[in-house]
Amino acid sequence: MTTLTNRPTSAHKKALIERLNIFTALALGVISAFVVWRLALQFLPQDAETSPFFNREDKITLLSMIAWFVGFMTGIGALIAPFRWLTGKDLSHDENMFYAGKDMGVKRYFRYTTDHKVVGIQYLVMTMFIFFIGGTLAMLIRTNLGNPEGGWIHPQAYNSIVGTHGIVMIVATIIMVTGPFGNFIMPIMIGARDMAFPRLNALSFWLIVAAAVPLLWGQFLGGISTGWTAYNPLASQAPLGMDGYIMFICIFAISTMVAGANITTTVIRMRAKGMTWNRTPIFIYGTVASVALALPAFPVFFLSQVMSGMDRALGTGFYDAAHGGSGWLYENLFWIMGHPEVYVILIPAVAALMEMAPVFSRNPLFSFNVAVLGIAGISGLSVLVWAHHMYMAGWAPLLNAPFMLTTELISIPTGMLFLVLVGTLWRGRLWVTVPMASIFALLWNFMIGGITGIYLSDVPADAFLHGSMYVTAHFHYTLMGAGLTGAIASLVYWFPKMTGRMLDKKLSWISFWMVQIGFNIAFMGMFAVGLAGQPRRVEGYAAIFNRGNLITTAGAYLIMAGMLVLLHAVISSWRNGVKAPMNPWQAKTLEWSVANPIPLENFDVLPTVTSDAYGYGKAKS
Amino acid sequence: MSLDTQKSPQWWKKKDVKQTFILWLILTPIIGYVGSTVQVRSMGEPASETMESVITLMSLFTWVASPVAGLVAAMCVTALISKRHYGDNPPPEAENEIRNSPRATAVWIVISALLCLFALITGLVVLQKDTEAISDAAAMNINVTGQQWVWNYDYPNGARSEVLYLPVNKPVVFHVTSVDVKHSFWVVQMGIKMDANPGYVTETAVTPNKIGVFDIRCAELCGLLHAYMQNKVHVVSQADYDAWVSNRATMEAAA
Repeated sequence: MTTLTNRPTSAHKKALIERLNIFTALALGVISAFVVWRLALQFLPQDAETSPFFNREDKITLLSMIAWFVGFMTGIGALIAPFRWLTGKDLSHDENMFYAGKDMGVKRYFRYTTDHKVVGIQYLVMTMFIFFIGGTLAMLIRTNLGNPEGGWIHPQAYNSIVGTHGIVMIVATIIMVTGPFGNFIMPIMIGARDMAFPRLNALSFWLIVAAAVPLLWGQFLGGISTGWTAYNPLASQAPLGMDGYIMFICIFAISTMVAGANITTTVIRMRAKGMTWNRTPIFIYGTVASVALALPAFPVFFLSQVMSGMDRALGTGFYDAAHGGSGWLYENLFWIMGHPEVYVILIPAVAALMEMAPVFSRNPLFSFNVAVLGIAGISGLSVLVWAHHMYMAGWAPLLNAPFMLTTELISIPTGMLFLVLVGTLWRGRLWVTVPMASIFALLWNFMIGGITGIYLSDVPADAFLHGSMYVTAHFHYTLMGAGLTGAIASLVYWFPKMTGRMLDKKLSWISFWMVQIGFNIAFMGMFAVGLAGQPRRVEGYAAIFNRGNLITTAGAYLIMAGMLVLLHAVISSWRNGVKAPMNPWQAKTLEWSVANPIPLENFDVLPTVTSDAYGYGKAKS
Repeated sequence: MSLDTQKSPQWWKKKDVKQTFILWLILTPIIGYVGSTVQVRSMGEPASETMESVITLMSLFTWVASPVAGLVAAMCVTALISKRHYGDNPPPEAENEIRNSPRATAVWIVISALLCLFALITGLVVLQKDTEAISDAAAMNINVTGQQWVWNYDYPNGARSEVLYLPVNKPVVFHVTSVDVKHSFWVVQMGIKMDANPGYVTETAVTPNKIGVFDIRCAELCGLLHAYMQNKVHVVSQADYDAWVSNRATMEAAA
């Protein structure tokens, strides 16, 4: 920041906050990383004879990445407001309005803008971009698996692609609903003018941008050859790209925690007058459950990676059995995050579809209380099931039975979500649209994902299934078949409010069918090879698995084509789609009561809520 | 099975309820049959009792889950074929306002809890059997050591090999460990798996009951050549095994 403040002020006296944007951030980040890299190279002592290989390189890499992070966040302006507050000169009203992006046009999307609608759009574009990368990597994997010998990708690169696809998609699915819709729609839905902590909101977004660079950087330092789980001790012998993963997770975990605290506070404190918990839309419950689950989960993830980084760079032995540590410690920490995390992904997507079900069936939400109980039950149980990922780890065989119990108990609240969805459709007047079709798609995919989950939760069956392609197919059915389906439906549903235009109907239908059919082809094939005994994360396989893999690859290409159609639909409709009316779906939640385009602070007069948003249907006389 | 239990005393006589019921009767066995047959066929021939019980468990769970899946499917189909609306404008409101149905909800929750309990108990029974097998005193002990990217097997008489040989119908306990990173020892057709952790020894047990050649694969990403960290297990008669293992031990001693 000093380099910038020392500049002579220009003629029209632009304040510092007006100068900062993504370009100053990139510049400062790169310069800081470069300077620290040179300094570290110069001054860090050589490794002692006794220390493991690459120790010094790890220190240099991690220090440079931290410097990038600090430089980038300074350059984007994240430190200005705290700094001003420290010096006792808090931001003026005009400055706050500038921060909110008042009268700034397109530029506000490239700045540290605090308006929740800008952050929502930033998240939306970011999510699509991450899906594009993760999808490209998936296509590389599937293409390589087109024939048994693996083929044209080197095993090291292949392992790295698998790991990067994993972590990139996990991040994309974590932010795909709570990022765009949780930020853009949620505050309007509860009748608020902005989030509780608008600056934290901007912070959570720009942290993800800052995090992305170390991950990309790592790809040029040997990649993430450990899979997204980055199990130790494999991670401690992995190339320098692993440090990129560690930095990425640490920064992303901060982003998730910040967003979690912000969204939770907003919903608890800022609901409109009269919006009691009974009148709060179910999507809000889903969003809060998701981000609140991240609050206990992600600090553990952060910690696990800090310890992993220390093992690599400082020669500690947290995860090294030879130095008194244990790989099981890593596995525990990882899955204490890892299992709540799948519900962080799934719950908001299902809740979004529960929000849409009444709108498109013109029927009230069936049993609101059961829906809330289901979400709460899943969230509560999900922190108690992590060791079902470790049934076969040999860590604590006596704990297998209790973890089997907690895991299978989750099927009860999950069943409640099915009941709510089916009950809402029952005797409804179904408006055949992509969101409505998505509800059926979710029921289909999630049913398959859920039932296969029961086999996997059973310890004796898991002794066969664990670590096979069956597991991969199972979690794609839940996270993609249910989660992504919900997210795409949300995009179709809220697109008119977010962009002021309707999403092209024909193209979104074409995309829907291509993705759903392709998806079911791809992952049915994957179930089959998993049952036949193909392990996960392999770049070559026995000839007997060839047919199943070919089917999966063909399905994957169909998904890719469908997703490209969707991308085209989004871009073309955003640019010149049909102008959307204020409430195209005739829905009753508050976000549809504001005009297009939405004014800066959403509501002139804050609304008062007198009933829930599900007053559809005619009561029978 | 209808949700509309409150308003009409004779809810089971309604057309959509009857239709759903018939669909449910048709769909449940189809789902159960297709789901279990396809999966069992994909799994191939079992080579141990452990694997046989895995197969039984999976088809049992499929059959137990099929009434639930069948009901959801039947209700979806009924909802989908009864009142649909196309076009850009919203349909008129539904003719009813079903906000809740305590009876349907209670039935749903009780049934799902019972199914859950059933899955748990069956699982525990089989798990208990698998656990007892590990402490079988009469079993043969074999040490399995994973290293990037091969398996080594040490037999009681001091023999060592890279391809596993086992006598048929004799209980075996594997003591699994690793010298470098984490691997997972998976004897595919016998339905057992145990992670090989550096610094620790873990156990798993099986009794092979078929003579033949079966697959062993590493089921935990362990670096560059993880995909190729696989070999075979030869299950042979006791006499063949004795001959092989003493021969092997002599070779070992000579080398």
